[in-house]
Amino acid sequence: MGVMEQQVAGRTPLVALLGNPNCGKTALFNRLTGSRQKVANYAGVTIERKEGSFKSPAGRSFRVLDLPGAYSLNAQTPDEGITRDVVAGLRAGEQAPDAILCVVNATNLRLNLRLVLELKRLGLPMVLTLNMVDVARKRGIEIDTAKLSQELGMPVVETVAIQSGGEKALLAELDRMPFDASVKINPLSAIDAVSVEETQREVRRILAAAVSTTKDTGNLTEKVDNVVLHPVAGPIILAALMFLIFQAVFSWAGTPMDLIEAGVGALGEFVGDLLGEGLLHSLIVDGIIAGVGSVLVFLPQILILFFFILLLEDVGYLPRAAFLLDRIMGSVGLSGRAFLPLLSSFACAIPGVMAARTIQNPRDRLVTIMIAPLMTCSARLPVYALLIAAFIPDQTVAGFLNLQGVVLFILYMAGILSAMAVAWFMKRRSEFKQQALMLELPAYHWPQPGALFSGLWERAKIFLMRVGTLILTMMVLLWLLSSFPGAPEGATQPPIYYSVAGMIGRALEVILAPIGFNWQIAIALVPGMAAREVAVGALGTVYALSGGDEVGDLLAPMIAESWSMATGLALLAWYVYAPHCLPTLATVARETGSRKYAWIMAGYMFGLAYVAAFIVYRVTLAITGA
Amino acid sequence: MTLAPALSTLDSLKAGQSATVVQLAPHAQGGIDVQRRLMELGFVPGERIRVLKRVMKGPLAVKVGESTFALRRFEAALVSIKVD
Repeated sequence: MGVMEQQVAGRTPLVALLGNPNCGKTALFNRLTGSRQKVANYAGVTIERKEGSFKSPAGRSFRVLDLPGAYSLNAQTPDEGITRDVVAGLRAGEQAPDAILCVVNATNLRLNLRLVLELKRLGLPMVLTLNMVDVARKRGIEIDTAKLSQELGMPVVETVAIQSGGEKALLAELDRMPFDASVKINPLSAIDAVSVEETQREVRRILAAAVSTTKDTGNLTEKVDNVVLHPVAGPIILAALMFLIFQAVFSWAGTPMDLIEAGVGALGEFVGDLLGEGLLHSLIVDGIIAGVGSVLVFLPQILILFFFILLLEDVGYLPRAAFLLDRIMGSVGLSGRAFLPLLSSFACAIPGVMAARTIQNPRDRLVTIMIAPLMTCSARLPVYALLIAAFIPDQTVAGFLNLQGVVLFILYMAGILSAMAVAWFMKRRSEFKQQALMLELPAYHWPQPGALFSGLWERAKIFLMRVGTLILTMMVLLWLLSSFPGAPEGATQPPIYYSVAGMIGRALEVILAPIGFNWQIAIALVPGMAAREVAVGALGTVYALSGGDEVGDLLAPMIAESWSMATGLALLAWYVYAPHCLPTLATVARETGSRKYAWIMAGYMFGLAYVAAFIVYRVTLAITGA
Repeated sequence: MTLAPALSTLDSLKAGQSATVVQLAPHAQGGIDVQRRLMELGFVPGERIRVLKRVMKGPLAVKVGESTFALRRFEAALVSIKVD
């Protein structure tokens, strides 16, 4: 606590950062707070709460809260509801802000200013931040900030949140701001003092007075959209993009994967030599290094996938894809908005399920949540990659396509089509009513490499944390289960066969034999319940222990040896559907507010997985004649 | 006397056509006041709008002011317009 500090009733002033979606608010938040951020959830809901702190040049401290983007305080989504409640001081456990920092996109004042006028009626001190002024100038939009400030009756500052130093003017303005604890906030009903139409007229009057467009630069976004949203070219571009991503996930990741594999192998040997033979050797080399290594190797693929998703999001392509797909989604009773949560689910179902909050209609939202785990999440990739490498020849088909990439594409499509079928089935039983879409297609902009890489780093951290904690624990536990009790005298099978894990696996084998799974797979499925990618590590452990092979050896050739093609493909089919992820089920329970739906989800997905694996197994057997 | 310009609704516009908003029909659904939200987004009487693209049997991309919004057919049908 500095001496210089001005306080409001003995505490650091709290500033709420508020604005329309797509106004660059979060970039500004990051610019202001740097790494001084706390991300948590609002109590009782799963909406992200981002708070940070910063010091102004004069040495004053501020707390800042980044509120979810909203078009209006007349909330239509849970996110907007949070923003409304927090800013109006109606949310239990949240302090009402001392001031509002309203962020507007300078290239789109006509839409953004309406919210500013609405917020003003709450009677809190406000500063208006004109973000993206650099882009506005380039487009020939001249904003007279002095005039605008006079019209709105609040300070107006220009910022460029994506440039370092772009927030300087804002900090200086905050220093000039008198904070007064006696300010009383008006009741929320004050926002309706003036009709929407009247407010819009006021916006136009202010724009006419303070903004002039000097030159018509032509709208690049519109030119791009002419192609991207074209009835014929649009879907082709979308399909090509999706396909490119899947090809990239497979072809670009090769080199780093080989490097990681070699590194893990070398480490295993090095540590193995240090330890000598014995139980500790077995735990560290066979259990931990082999298990964790076989999961770690998929980090490159996960990062490549996330790279594309974050890139498309940053550029502004994702809402366009939702627009193009709205009709297809609508045909099974989903909103085009459901595309975004479902696409996120390709990375991981947990953020996907959480992103379903942007769907206003509760029923639509529930259906979207229920099908999200059918999207192929990145945790399935390790399993897919392993099985594809083992059973699908690496050859070129149709002149330029990699057969392994084609199979991966088919697996993704299987998940998507099944999700559509399930959605249709769930909707069929309810009255079918069309939902409003009202989805903004924001202007395209160049991706921000900084934001992109920090996003990727975030994902890598989450993955490595999981490898480091949950997966490591599972590996050690599995090793314990697989090593004790040891093999009896004169055993004919590898030791794991006689262990606790072996017993569980053999018990499950009875159920899983009809779909072609052997006891090694059955064992791997047990820890695989915690997280899908663990199954690969578990297989690594099972085979390192039962085959006695060198750790770091590729699993793929080993399973290609020991399983039939039918078993491999059946396991792939199983993984398209099986609910192998407790964290997702927990998220579903939390998001839907009841465990019922988590159980329903687990039940229907297991059912689908079993049926699909059974069909694939039998059909492949019939074809291969095994 | 000139003929009064044709009145129709936004969902009948072709891609590339412009019009002026005349009024919005009230419509509430699942607790969402669609009419009010459309007005908040800029679809107010007197506003010039233009349809950029249409997806066959699907939504329309409509430019209003500096923004573009995707609307489903039934939403667009709430907006009465005067075609230019």
